[in-house]
Amino acid sequence: MTKTGLRRSAALVALVARRDYLRTVRRRGFVLGTLLIPLGAAAFVLLAQLFNPTDDPSQVDPTVYLVNESALELRPDPRSPRVALLADRAEGQALVASGEAKEVYVLPPDYAASGRVERVVKGWRGTEIERVRRQAIEEQRLAEYLRRSLVGGLLPPEEVDRLVAPLAVQEVGLDGEPAPASEIAAFFVPYAFALLFMLSIFITSGYLLQSVTEEKENRAVEIVISSVPPLPLMTGKILGLGGAGMSQVVVWVASAMALPRWSGTAIPGLSQVNIAPAVLILAVAYFVLGYAVYSGIYAAVGALAPGAREAQQYAGFLAMPAVLPLVATAAFLTDTHQPLVIALALFPFTAPAAMLQVLALEETIPWPLVIASLGGLALTSLLTMVLSARVFRATVLLYGKRPGIREIAMVILGRA
Amino acid sequence: MRAVTADAPSPRAATEPAPVVVESAWKRYGETDVVQDLSFEIRAGELLGFLGPNGAGKTTTMRMILDIVRPDRGTIRVFGEPPGVVHSPRIGYLPEERGLYRDVPVLDTLAYFGALKGLPRSEARQRARRMLEEVGLGDVLRKKAAEMSRGMQQKAQVIATILHQPDLLILDEPFQGLDPVNAEMLRNVVLAQRDRGAAVVMSTHRMEEAEALCDRILLIDHGRRLLYGPLREIQAAFSDGAVVVHGEGLPPVETLRSVTAGRPVDGAVRLSLREGASPRDLFHELAGTDARIDRFEVATPPLDEIFIRVVAGETRRAGEPRGADGR
Repeated sequence: MTKTGLRRSAALVALVARRDYLRTVRRRGFVLGTLLIPLGAAAFVLLAQLFNPTDDPSQVDPTVYLVNESALELRPDPRSPRVALLADRAEGQALVASGEAKEVYVLPPDYAASGRVERVVKGWRGTEIERVRRQAIEEQRLAEYLRRSLVGGLLPPEEVDRLVAPLAVQEVGLDGEPAPASEIAAFFVPYAFALLFMLSIFITSGYLLQSVTEEKENRAVEIVISSVPPLPLMTGKILGLGGAGMSQVVVWVASAMALPRWSGTAIPGLSQVNIAPAVLILAVAYFVLGYAVYSGIYAAVGALAPGAREAQQYAGFLAMPAVLPLVATAAFLTDTHQPLVIALALFPFTAPAAMLQVLALEETIPWPLVIASLGGLALTSLLTMVLSARVFRATVLLYGKRPGIREIAMVILGRA
Repeated sequence: MRAVTADAPSPRAATEPAPVVVESAWKRYGETDVVQDLSFEIRAGELLGFLGPNGAGKTTTMRMILDIVRPDRGTIRVFGEPPGVVHSPRIGYLPEERGLYRDVPVLDTLAYFGALKGLPRSEARQRARRMLEEVGLGDVLRKKAAEMSRGMQQKAQVIATILHQPDLLILDEPFQGLDPVNAEMLRNVVLAQRDRGAAVVMSTHRMEEAEALCDRILLIDHGRRLLYGPLREIQAAFSDGAVVVHGEGLPPVETLRSVTAGRPVDGAVRLSLREGASPRDLFHELAGTDARIDRFEVATPPLDEIFIRVVAGETRRAGEPRGADGR
């Protein structure tokens, strides 16, 4: 191709990409899909907080009000600052009646013999979960206070501490070093990213499929293809619609990260995960190449299929290899060096999801596997783009016809 | 109905080689040769009628010129070069299967198509607006194609083809499905484009359109060229030498020496000439009688008759006049 031709092709790629991007992100369905998921999650968190006001100090850090009618001698203990001793039952009842205390505990005269403790309550308007949780905290504090008070004078202070809290388990490895706090959490988050990557590949490829089938059904494709050759057209669409899909994913990820801060809740395990920059770069490379492979295939499927419904069916079938590594997660968790895992990591159509899991599980980056797998994926993406452009060129104008396998094979081999 | 504006001819058009030269092109799909050894050219400022029955290979040939389909053999030159993306801004194409984006305002669609043809976005938009207004669609600029009538969509499709004032116009069955009003608009558009110097090739099944508009015709069947040349020459070649005379008081046929037979045709008389006699002989003979001659013309067969005769194999290749290019 001449310089002028290359310049014109590049201009057309940019034009198609810009137009498809803007057209997609302005669609009502796209806007709703992009905003509804984070808004739905925010609404869920908000509702949960409405019914579970965990930031109320009386819920998360309750004071235990105690009336002692038994013969035990109880005094305020500086190590149990949240236990308040009241003068008598009447004072406790008044606190409950006024709402200042949600409940008051009373040690009746027979406490030493029976262990019975009365809880004076007025009635509770909050959720049952909150009440149970608060009372569990209160009971634990009360028990701790009573243990200290019962043995306080008989044992040295550190033994009293052990009596109150006899276990503090810590896991160590064979080398004596502390084990990571939670390996499940360390795997879960990168695994979730692998899922997210695959999801975004299929969302964006889905937009591509929709765009091609729509142009074909509208019969606008012949006008377009008379101005833009198949390869620049496909490239422009892949870039534009990939950008639209990525915009959507970025909004989702950003809101997923902002939501815990906004709501004041933490995602368990997230703080313990530390992703190396090299792994992050490799993850992006797998994403880009994986997207190139699948979007090329989807563009060809859109051109091949006589209508949108058939295109969706074909696309669903072709998406199966991509999710295979996620189905085989157990094999990855068992041993990342077993043949099945290696095969999935090297096979270009399963490589993105497989390698994201391998990278998440391996302590060090397995460079030979990464190079082989990335190389295969890069070659396949190039080949897919070229062959898909051939199929696109040969079949996109077959309105309402379904070319046979032999015909498609001839097109791919360049003999049609 | 006014025709949309035709700008001044492109200065490049006059100095360049023929916009399209096809030489011995072949295209095979599966076991079928869709185009076989096809040669022709399309010249600047002329309208070439591309005729042939369904499946003759017309659309495939047009797509080869557009570089949508590549020939298996032979060469195609567009503006003196191989077909390709660089020529797209100089080509306007109205496909047989034409459409617009259904859920996009028509002005946006036309601006996009114009931009694909190399126009700056703002200019494409400006031109599209002006042309839509010229054909009476000024009040539907923001309407989506799905909300427009079929006739309106047809007008918009025609505008999409000429928005960038192409030097080569390729029209595949342009009159198909058009209502009379839009057919008239399209006729005016096609003639205006030709008159400003654009090369126009038009495939059609409507012989009366081809006869009324085309300077030359190319008739193909099964991908092979059957007829190619100026329309008038082809009609003359297929003429049986008869003469049509309009007038009163014509003498009986038996009394005319240069005539063998005669029959009434639409208020006139069609006279078949004796072998060796010319229309000039008959004219002189009639001039010597008391007949009043209003009109005297050599009878030419209508194009649809030629089409049927040639395609049916009645006179395959016989009588094909040589084109001006000597082929």
